[in-house]
Amino acid sequence: MSRFLFLFAFMLIGAGLFGAVFSAPLGTNWGLLAGGLAGALVWLVREDRQGRRLLDWLSALKKTPVSDAAAIASPARLSFFWREFAEHAERVLRLHHRALQKQRLRTENLIDALQATPNGIIMLDARRRIQWMNTFACLHFALDAERDIGQSITHLLRDPVFVAGLVRQEFCKPILLTSPCSTPRQPMRLSLQLCPYGKNRLLLLSQEITHIEKAEAGQRAFIANVSHELRTPLTVLAGFIETLQTLPLDEEERQDYLARMERQALQMQTLVADLLTLSCLEESPPPDFTQWSPIRGLLTVCAAEARAFAGLIAKNAQAKAHQIHFPADAGLGEIAGNARELQSAFSNLVHNAIRHTPPGSRVDVYWQHNEDGSATLTVQDNGPGIAPEHLSRLTERFYRVDPGRSRESGGTGLGLSIVKHVLQRHGAALEIDSAPGQGARFSATFPKSGIRH
Amino acid sequence: MNEKHLSSQFDSDLNNISSQLMAMGGLVETQVHRAIAALAGFSATLAAEVIETDDQVDNMEVTIDRALTSIIALRQPTARDLRLLLAISKITTNLERVGDETHKIARMVKSIVESGGARNMPIGDLRVATDLAADLIHRALDAFARLDVSAAIVIMKEDDLIDREFKGFTRKLITYMVEDPRAISDSLNLLFLAKAVERIGDHAKNIAEFIIYIVKGTDVRHSSLTQVETALQEP
Repeated sequence: MSRFLFLFAFMLIGAGLFGAVFSAPLGTNWGLLAGGLAGALVWLVREDRQGRRLLDWLSALKKTPVSDAAAIASPARLSFFWREFAEHAERVLRLHHRALQKQRLRTENLIDALQATPNGIIMLDARRRIQWMNTFACLHFALDAERDIGQSITHLLRDPVFVAGLVRQEFCKPILLTSPCSTPRQPMRLSLQLCPYGKNRLLLLSQEITHIEKAEAGQRAFIANVSHELRTPLTVLAGFIETLQTLPLDEEERQDYLARMERQALQMQTLVADLLTLSCLEESPPPDFTQWSPIRGLLTVCAAEARAFAGLIAKNAQAKAHQIHFPADAGLGEIAGNARELQSAFSNLVHNAIRHTPPGSRVDVYWQHNEDGSATLTVQDNGPGIAPEHLSRLTERFYRVDPGRSRESGGTGLGLSIVKHVLQRHGAALEIDSAPGQGARFSATFPKSGIRH
Repeated sequence: MNEKHLSSQFDSDLNNISSQLMAMGGLVETQVHRAIAALAGFSATLAAEVIETDDQVDNMEVTIDRALTSIIALRQPTARDLRLLLAISKITTNLERVGDETHKIARMVKSIVESGGARNMPIGDLRVATDLAADLIHRALDAFARLDVSAAIVIMKEDDLIDREFKGFTRKLITYMVEDPRAISDSLNLLFLAKAVERIGDHAKNIAEFIIYIVKGTDVRHSSLTQVETALQEP
């Protein structure tokens, strides 16, 4: 309804009322005019109050946060034209509000996704200032997600290698550097990648590569070790071959040299066999835990091997053989898993004890069922023992407490690595307990699930 | 460093010079790390690298000083801007000295490697002090970038730790010298080395003091920590 109709109606009512009252003193025409004017005035006042209400509502809206949907409700006590105006405004506001909420939800989702990535992300503006970063970026570069917004990245990430990369705009090559949070105990190496996006903006991605570099270093060390281990017997072998070729030797000497050559060849053979065992352990699927083997049988084979080995050593050294004791009782139950692997682990443990103790020492093997259902194989010797600084590294490949002696006795440096691998695959734990002069005790504890009577 | 001036050119000048200072700081930090690695691993190649790069640090100091002179002459800054520029000048000097100390350490490592001596000396005991020094320099530069007064105060407090380490190390060296007079020359070398490390910590502390000067306008040099803290509590 038009506002003028309203004005007209008010003027008419005013004129009607006033005309009746004031026509006597003023005359009919003046009375009607005064009444009309008074009606118009009342209308004006009313209009003003309604408009004011609307304005108050709008200015209150300006101050409330955008997310507050309740504040959008339009004021009550409005009539006709103003009512319509307010309803339109409210509808438009609600539409915008809904769109905004949707947008905000999408942005939040996006930010959550960026936060969830395991890599550091920093967004840089055209002047290389930090616009936004995720938690991993904070961890990688020791930054503060709130305080450091707006900082120049080169002010906080000052490594010259990075700054040079940023200046040269190296977008394809990753930049490798040490994190500012890196400590000697906990090193942290990072690989950084710069990606341009939008209008002259940059995305700085960071990834921790400490473990990758460590694995690579391990790989290199392993290859170096293997080459070294193979080279030593090969050199000896080559030397003997040359001697046999060039020197006239009598039969006895020849036999002696050939025997030594055989020993070196055997050494290489065991090394290659151990390496193959290790790589098999790494490659093959987890052992089949539905296969049960009697522990008695495993230990019997192990005992036979150990005695033969001890005898060989005693013969070579022309000394008394080791005293080896295995458990005597018949009922030891069964163990789940790959019998061949377990056999190799047990044998390695016992051989290890024989190899690293002087001839005539005592080696005791126990099998013990624990209260919680697990079972422990213990190999105890009364040899020279192991110094504490070696204990944690014993199971590393090619780690040797006394390199010369171990190789002499035919050790490859891989025995305990194989043991550790096998035990890990069977869910067992290896514990080494020793002190210099007090012998050594190696115990492998198998979980309850892998043992039955 | 984010306050706006009427002249945006001035803003970008200030920003540029801060960036140059931070770049110099980054280089000096790497120098410190390299010198420490050279010392820990007795690496003559790393030591040689440190000695070679020292010229670069010196050049950066000259460049920053020249830029500072021209900004002060052109813009005639006042208040906080003037303090910032003055502090940058002093911090540059301090950073250059840190560079000199790393140079000194590298030379010492080189001579130790070449002479073959000093290997059975207690170099491992320096490790704590060297790592602390590197950390302090790093945090001092971070605090400058953020103009973070509370971090600056922490740095000033921690410098005492290095001083204590240095004293302990000196005492240890004295016992070596008393036990075996032949160890005296090696011990003296190590003492100079330890002194260089201790000086790096001092320079970090100086940088921290300039941060307080920029932000608060109070000169806290040569005053005790309690004095500093009370001075900062005043509005």
